[in-house]
Amino acid sequence: MIAFLVKRVGQSVVVLIGVSIIAFILEHLLPGGPAKAILGGRASPFQIAAFNHANGLDKPLWQQYGIYVWHLLHGNLGRSYKLNQTVNSVLANDLPKSILLVGSALVLSLLIAIPIGVFQAVRRNGIFDYAATSVSFLLYSMPSFWLGIILILAFAVNLHLFPAEAPQGQSIGSIISDPRAMFLPVITLTLVSYASFTRYMRSSAIEALAQDWIRTAKAKGLSQRVILFKHMLRNALIPIATLVGLSLPSLITAGIVTESVFNFPGTGFRFINAASTEDYPLLLGIIILIGVLTVVGNLLADITYAVLDPRVRYR
Amino acid sequence: MSKIDDLDEGLSSEGGGGNEIIGSTSGGEAHSSGSQLKLIVQTFLENKLAIVGIALVVVATLFCFVGPLLYHTNQVTTSYNITQPPGHGHPLGTDQNGYDVLGRLMVGGQSSLEIGFSVAIIATFIGVLYGAIAGFIGGIVDTIMMRIVDTLLSIPTLLLLIYLAAVFRPTLKLLIIVISAVSWLSPARLVRGEALTLRVRDYVKAVRVMGGGSRRIIVRHIVPNAIGTIVVNATFQIADAILVMAVLSYLGLGLPPPAANWGSMLSDGVNYVYDGYWWLIYPAGLAIILTVVAFNLIGDAIRDSLEVRLQKR
Amino acid sequence: MPLLEIDDLYTNIRLKKGEVKAVGGVSISVNAGETVGLVGESGCGKTMTGMSIMRLLPAAGYIASGRVLLDGRDLVKLSEEEMRAVRGNDIGMIFQDPMTSLNPCLTIGSQIAESVALHKKVNKAKAMERAIEVLELVGMPKPKERINDYPHQLSGGLRQRVMIAMALSCEPKLLIADEPTTALDVTIQAQILELLDSLKEKLGMAMLLITHDMGVIAGRADRVVVMYAGKVVEQAPTEKIFASTNHPYTEALLASIPKMDGSVARLYSIPGIPPDLSNPPTGCRFAERCRLASDQCRTSEPQLTSNDQDHSFACFHPVGIEANHVKVAIKVEAEEIARIEHADRKPLMVLDHVSKEFEITKGAILQRKAGTLKAVTDLSLTIYDGETIGIVGESGCGKSTTGSMMVALERPTGGKILFNGEDLFGHKPKELRSVRSNLQLMFQDPYASLDPRMRVGSIIREPLDINKIGTPQEREKKVISLLSEVGLSAKAVERYPHEFSGGQRQRIGLARALALNPKLIVADEPVSALDVSIRSQVLNLMKDLQRTHGLTYVVISHDLSVVRFLADRIGVMYLGKLVEIGTGYDIYENPAHPYTAALLSAVPEPEPEREKTKIRKVIQGELPSAINPPSGCRFRTRCERATDLCAQQEPPMTSFGVLHQAACHFPLISNVEIRSGAATN
Repeated sequence: MIAFLVKRVGQSVVVLIGVSIIAFILEHLLPGGPAKAILGGRASPFQIAAFNHANGLDKPLWQQYGIYVWHLLHGNLGRSYKLNQTVNSVLANDLPKSILLVGSALVLSLLIAIPIGVFQAVRRNGIFDYAATSVSFLLYSMPSFWLGIILILAFAVNLHLFPAEAPQGQSIGSIISDPRAMFLPVITLTLVSYASFTRYMRSSAIEALAQDWIRTAKAKGLSQRVILFKHMLRNALIPIATLVGLSLPSLITAGIVTESVFNFPGTGFRFINAASTEDYPLLLGIIILIGVLTVVGNLLADITYAVLDPRVRYR
Repeated sequence: MSKIDDLDEGLSSEGGGGNEIIGSTSGGEAHSSGSQLKLIVQTFLENKLAIVGIALVVVATLFCFVGPLLYHTNQVTTSYNITQPPGHGHPLGTDQNGYDVLGRLMVGGQSSLEIGFSVAIIATFIGVLYGAIAGFIGGIVDTIMMRIVDTLLSIPTLLLLIYLAAVFRPTLKLLIIVISAVSWLSPARLVRGEALTLRVRDYVKAVRVMGGGSRRIIVRHIVPNAIGTIVVNATFQIADAILVMAVLSYLGLGLPPPAANWGSMLSDGVNYVYDGYWWLIYPAGLAIILTVVAFNLIGDAIRDSLEVRLQKR
Repeated sequence: MPLLEIDDLYTNIRLKKGEVKAVGGVSISVNAGETVGLVGESGCGKTMTGMSIMRLLPAAGYIASGRVLLDGRDLVKLSEEEMRAVRGNDIGMIFQDPMTSLNPCLTIGSQIAESVALHKKVNKAKAMERAIEVLELVGMPKPKERINDYPHQLSGGLRQRVMIAMALSCEPKLLIADEPTTALDVTIQAQILELLDSLKEKLGMAMLLITHDMGVIAGRADRVVVMYAGKVVEQAPTEKIFASTNHPYTEALLASIPKMDGSVARLYSIPGIPPDLSNPPTGCRFAERCRLASDQCRTSEPQLTSNDQDHSFACFHPVGIEANHVKVAIKVEAEEIARIEHADRKPLMVLDHVSKEFEITKGAILQRKAGTLKAVTDLSLTIYDGETIGIVGESGCGKSTTGSMMVALERPTGGKILFNGEDLFGHKPKELRSVRSNLQLMFQDPYASLDPRMRVGSIIREPLDINKIGTPQEREKKVISLLSEVGLSAKAVERYPHEFSGGQRQRIGLARALALNPKLIVADEPVSALDVSIRSQVLNLMKDLQRTHGLTYVVISHDLSVVRFLADRIGVMYLGKLVEIGTGYDIYENPAHPYTAALLSAVPEPEPEREKTKIRKVIQGELPSAINPPSGCRFRTRCERATDLCAQQEPPMTSFGVLHQAACHFPLISNVEIRSGAATN
């Protein structure tokens, strides 16, 4: 277990260094360099030189990278000149809301996907299995924004059950206090992630059910219920832990789109606005932050995996 | 020992006469016939959904590339005949710029399909090369190459795409390159995994015992055996690229007008959700879904028939 | 009334198209306290019969008709709930592979206890107590400490003990053991079989022992039922089956097993392969492959009939009854030990103090050295031109690594390998390739060793292509002639490997190995993936090819009878060391090393008298780790004769005969002084 953790944490650190390098490269991809991109096209050469000097951009690249990482390590993501705020303060405001959205959708979709996937595996090739497979296939093939729009059309425009727009409050408290408005964004994101989780769960359960030890359990005279919930489920969930970790980036992607569809005031919405206003420090800050969150999420998923699987736990 | 000449006669005449007691050395014959590829194609065609998938792709392609030749519409200049509901002259109505929606679906589909196919080809090519090298060489080279992939995978694709689309002015070529640049990761991982398992197979060992070199092993044995997985992944790549393109267009980061694709049509239509202009939302959405479903169906079916091939080994 | 009575059972398995008639009218009875052996080759329906009793058929399988009476109660008619009360309670079951048959996520204690709690209606603590009790019963060392272990923390042998404990925890009346030892090493197999026997006595239960291994049956079963293609072909008390078989299939099966005494020079082999059970032939199902078959056999089906009360068979032309049917005569063409006169033979390959160590690394980026696995240590061996050397040993003894080094797939980490007097690894890579064509490998798994995407013609031609031998036309011709040499028709050229059976693929593999006219072929478990009747075909072929091509073989196997059949000289390996080497006679009849003797006594032979009277020296314990092998003699931890000397000093190789050497401080036979100048290894 310890060896596994050390190895896994080591890998994560390497990947984090990689993420910082990518962000650094992205910053230098900007036409005319960061200074021009940040100060705007009309900045004079003198202004640019002053900016470069102030930010250490006239030093050799490796030194610039060193400075960059130094700032990152101190949690300094830079400054948004367009909003005239530090990137940190912008994100501190937006991120909790996004985590609330993505987190509740993640929990909800797992709660739906696991039992349905198991049931599909048990009654494989039955009518329910075909129906559920078709539904997930359809959801899987649908652009997530389109799904959101259809839900708006159905539940907001036609039935007037839920508002079409997410809660617009600035604080996280105001978001929680308006659960009706949260309904459609959360459901959209839940359906999108449900589609892939239920497919994983189904195949993982089918694989577990085909194992020799299921036959052993049957030969002991155990009931179907005990076999499913005591023997099969735990084994089938082990690979799901890793898969959930691996699907974090796509979940975040879907989250960005959903935020944009429902005008949800979170990080994703902010990112898209920053893209249209060409607010590069903010864009880079969000990329770094989400990269780090993904790496950490993946690590947590793998630790869960290790805890669930005694073959890793006692090694 | 009797030698069998008639293959289909099978085992009946084998093994010598009635009092033959010393073991025969004849090995008998193969019991089934038909080539590998035939078997795969056969199982593939038995899958009704696969046929649906292929039919959908063919229809979509004809619709987008042949359709405009038969159904002429003006997709260049705007008119005042805007947001007309479906009716005469415009089977699917007109959009907010007065373009005919049916005609626009055809033209828009062209770029969606072009992007899908191009991305799949480029991403698969890069991914296969990268993955095969990492998997075959193994060791420290593999570790480094895979950590690079891990790094790129931990930044959500869409973030990168949006950033790059904001920095550079999108053109069709650029979009294809950028989407490919973030799409080669999954084939790379897949092929690397295949190469890792294939390179320790007994038949690869056999080639080394015969004196065959690495090039022969990769070209003649590893790639042909991994090709199934690669093709399956490529079909999913097409589907994913179409979706990504749609999302980018929806976010306003796709190709600038008057160029159209299904995603941008949807994006424009969304503004009219409350006006009840359904023909601006459903047709383009359905076009995307049907095409994506079709490619996913084909990919699934190929994967299933490859698995059957393995079972029938 | 018998405890278990299977009456005219038919079990089918649905396929996409049609059905496999896996069990076609089987009647078997098992009396209380009796062990009945159910034997047959793969696909004969023996496992499906066992599964039908338990009603644990795969999803597509069902019992079409027939009764399964346990104490007079028909199990087929029970509801699923009633049946659950029977499973694990009245009938216990053990499966083949202990590595996969235990749930990896639950402790072994809870897996045993759950059965007790369910059937005996006791609370958890009581059930746990019982679990410890049965673990003790099955010889698990320190059961109290082990109860919270997970399966992966135990070795294969211990896991099989857990399986047995689980099956016995509710004291069933009947135990069904489906290939209980097939996945285990010979010495562990002996331990488990011994355990099953003693438990059966102790608990007074009946046992249905399902196996393909005639040896296992001979020593353990009271009565034997032989199945072929879904039908019972013969049943009789064990002694009668082996001494006076009536069915040609049983007779042929017995005649195709190589004998441990080395008396057989050529095996009988049943031609062809078993019929396809989705479309079974009319008449006798063995008729296609039977040397005695007549038209009657092909049109009408023989019923089980008995000539005395406890021996019955299904055959129109029983062997041993009608005078005009000869018994299977075994041609003893003893190629004498004289064949191994070394004086005029030249050494082909010399292994000179060869060692191979694998580094075990830890960590993702900084690959720190965590230990070395000593796969082969200080092995010296001379292989003479034209002979067959056998290497035997249990899994992990380093025999396969040795084989890989001989064909230059692995580079030794110590010592030298000389081929034709030249250092095998002293060549430049280009030259090594040409030397390599003299050294070919025959693989264990005929399914994995042929590229599934290549036609057979290209597979066999590939070595010729690589080494640029001959023109394309000449290569084609060579492929055809190789195919005919291994008994396949020229039409195979156009086909793909998946169209061939396991035995046929092994022939294709041989043809490919022969394409370069090699001097030496290393055969790593050449027949262990094949059924008995197919196995003998391949073994005979190997012998024929050796004669016609002047080949030298190194045969690596865990199966001592196969090695005895093929090899002139045999080396025994234990934990990376060569512990004994000698002629077949030296090793099998006159072993010097205690390990060799124990290994031999552990092998079950298809001879009931010998098996029942054999004094078994079952080796206790498990194989130590090759990362930290025991000091001195590596076998000392499991050896009865071991003393302090064995721990301190490694025994050197000493001679016990002209060709016989062993490394032991306290050998079983006295060693002899060899005249100077005699052959050494």
